Amino acid sequence: MSDKKKRSEDELLEKVTSTEYKYGFTTDIESDTIPKGLSEEVVRIISAKKNEPSWMLEYRLNAYKAWLEMEEPNWANVNYKKPDYQDVIYYSAPKQKPVLDSLDDLDPEMKNTFDKLGISLEEQKKLANVAVDIVMDSVSVATSFKETLSEKGIIFCSISDAIQEHPKLVKKYLGSVVPTRDNFFSALNSAVFSDGSFCYIPKGVKCPMELSTYFRINEAGTGQFERTLLIADEGSQVSYLEGCTAPMRDENQLHAAVVELVAMDDADIKYSTVQNWYPGNDEGVGGVFNFVTKRGICYKNAKISWTQVETGSAVTWKYPSCILKGDNSIGEFFSVAVTNNFQQADTGTKMIHLGKNTKSTIIAKGISAGKSNGNYRGLVRISKGATNSRNFSQCDSLLMGDKCGSHTFPYIEVKNNSSKIEHEATTSKIGEDQLFYCNQRGIGTEQAIALIVNGYCKDVLNQLPMEFAVEAQKLLEISLEGSVG
Amino acid sequence: MGLIENLKSYSEEIQISDDKKDLLDSFLSNGFPTTKDEEWKYTSLKKVIANEYNIENKGQVVDDSVIEKYSLGFENQIILSDGKLINIPTIKGVSISGFSEFESNTNDSILNLNKSLSQNGFTVSIDKNTVVESPIEILFISTTESNFSQYRNRISIAENAEVKFVERIQNLNNSSSFVNNFTRINCDKNTKIEYNKIQNNTSESQLIDTVNVYQEQDSTCDINTLLFGGSFTRNNLNFEQNGFNCESNMNGVSVLDNNQLADNHTFVDHKSAHCRSNEMYKGIYLDNSRGVFNGKIMVRPDAQKIDAFQSNNNLLLSENSSIDSKPQLEIYADDVKCSHGCTIGQLDADALFYMRSRGIGVEEAKAVLTYAFASEAIENISVDQVRLLSKKLLAQKLNVELDFSV
Repeated sequence: MSDKKKRSEDELLEKVTSTEYKYGFTTDIESDTIPKGLSEEVVRIISAKKNEPSWMLEYRLNAYKAWLEMEEPNWANVNYKKPDYQDVIYYSAPKQKPVLDSLDDLDPEMKNTFDKLGISLEEQKKLANVAVDIVMDSVSVATSFKETLSEKGIIFCSISDAIQEHPKLVKKYLGSVVPTRDNFFSALNSAVFSDGSFCYIPKGVKCPMELSTYFRINEAGTGQFERTLLIADEGSQVSYLEGCTAPMRDENQLHAAVVELVAMDDADIKYSTVQNWYPGNDEGVGGVFNFVTKRGICYKNAKISWTQVETGSAVTWKYPSCILKGDNSIGEFFSVAVTNNFQQADTGTKMIHLGKNTKSTIIAKGISAGKSNGNYRGLVRISKGATNSRNFSQCDSLLMGDKCGSHTFPYIEVKNNSSKIEHEATTSKIGEDQLFYCNQRGIGTEQAIALIVNGYCKDVLNQLPMEFAVEAQKLLEISLEGSVG
Repeated sequence: MGLIENLKSYSEEIQISDDKKDLLDSFLSNGFPTTKDEEWKYTSLKKVIANEYNIENKGQVVDDSVIEKYSLGFENQIILSDGKLINIPTIKGVSISGFSEFESNTNDSILNLNKSLSQNGFTVSIDKNTVVESPIEILFISTTESNFSQYRNRISIAENAEVKFVERIQNLNNSSSFVNNFTRINCDKNTKIEYNKIQNNTSESQLIDTVNVYQEQDSTCDINTLLFGGSFTRNNLNFEQNGFNCESNMNGVSVLDNNQLADNHTFVDHKSAHCRSNEMYKGIYLDNSRGVFNGKIMVRPDAQKIDAFQSNNNLLLSENSSIDSKPQLEIYADDVKCSHGCTIGQLDADALFYMRSRGIGVEEAKAVLTYAFASEAIENISVDQVRLLSKKLLAQKLNVELDFSV
């Protein structure tokens, strides 16, 4: 490599690593916060504050008891200082929870926050045809398009409202895909979850618009424990978007969400995520711990598709999974995970094939820059009864800079002899010949890298709904600024 | 009483140094690895160690006809009966002796057990600039019934030397024997070594085989593992590349039937820049057999310009066979080309139909396709006799009378 080129690459890397988090600001809204720490008392307070029925309190207490007996897992290939669970505030809600007839009634301060994030609600309402259920800290404060949705019989509300208004559905499905005792973080979430989204699509209904939720961690020191439950009844179809941006913080914030998807016979769920929590500064101080349990279950002929663009968080630990229980069901996982500076990501998926003729596709693209480490960890399990099932997995890693790492840990377990499984993984850097080709044709190195990275991620970005693809590209740009145009 | 109790009572009888005693005691208090251990996640030793074993090696006289039966007939033969050397070839520039003490990494409990108990094995040193033309055959014969034996072997190859080995472990009776075999291979600068393992032991035999290879600059090391027999086989194959321009090649073919279990673990540690590794493991599973593959490629920081390839292909040919595969990449340097691929599937139905429509019986057609699948790895073996033997054993396993050698 020529000196000049080497220099320009170094400059690029320098630029990449010196880009600061753009969404770092704090909204000044008075919050209703309980003291730090976790105890049975706190669980009871949370439940009482939300005016929950007794079965819900019992559910939380059981989860809390299970959590006490569990140990924090440490098998992931990440290093971080374990959070002190007694130093976290488990409930924080903006004090006022206005019942809004229109968005004009929204707290101007809060509205400003959303404007800074580039999600103007009016615009979205009018232009993008997206119903937004905004979760600011832990309580949802604005819901739109409720009427349009309710005409179709679609329920889309915060999970606290669902507990009050649709207790039967919640009671039946909450914890049915991710049981309380599933893991350390899901138990913690089940005990203390403050709010989240609930969605029910009735039989045969195609949701007329993309459903969307924006999460923001706002109150300093507040762990955000989101709970999402999405049920698509027989023959229904829904596309759900989840986006995250968090303001800059110096102390590590804990985010342990649980997402459960239920796809009944012939249902189709598409769940897309753009995650951009605060990744910490360029020395690795601060940043969000993102320990998420996401899992969906597919009944006959159903399909669940997970798409994620992960650019944020100091430590990410996340494996959106599909249990392919019904015959002919389909699971998909498309992921782009970008790590920079000192970020660490251990992410991937689990595809559990139980039914006959089940199919799964995994496309995971990792990009590591700076001193970060990216891991793909995935499981494909073909059980004995999963005749004629099919899996294709592809995990590619792109390394930018000589101090980063990229790792692949796939687990493939096959107990059926009529199934076909393919797995491939590659690790490489951007080819000098590719760069040279672009340079030769008058494309600058920076633009060329952008071009190559975009092409590299295309398979995944193409899966995102239009509205999200733009934002995802913007986030890729920000996390790898200087090298991505 | 299981193996642990056998070992405990044995440990009280024997006289060993304090270091070894400590190793043994710590092993006995922790026991054999369980499936909770990530490295043993898919392979349970429970059944293996539930058996009763004799720990002492008594040994009987081995007949020449026995040697003839299991040997491939090379002129250079190292023959060990219950771990004791009974035949040493004279080769110019090569010194061969019995068991010798040497260190091994202490974080592997199976190796610790091996170190603390072993008194048997061989030591081979190849002098500088020596090229050994004819392959050296190593034959371990065990005569004792239900024996648990430790073999500890060391091979050192000095600068510019070249050598090939063929190794075979054979049990002479049908009792359930258990061998813990460890071989350390040191490859000095610019050396070339090919080590072939033929694992076709009796149906009750159990084996844990560990090979640690340490490579210096410009060295090339090929290890070929041909696994046909034995009820339980665990192969640990570890490479450490410590100099520029090293090449590590691994070929593996496992053909299993009945209730056989084979677990192939490989680990390539790329510590130095400008090195290569190639890995090809083929698994063919019949009846109720189980396969496990765990391949790890590690590229250390600053080990740039590494080319590492790994492939693991598996054929599940019966309803009750299963495979667990874990190909892994751990990469800490950016200017590398590393990839792994893993496939699990069946024989191509179209190809089978094509052959059958031309009058080839179903068994033969399947065998031809299976052979074609395995031959990719078999063809990488340079010792003719080994290649021919594996083809013969493959045909035997598939129950066809086809001569693949032509």
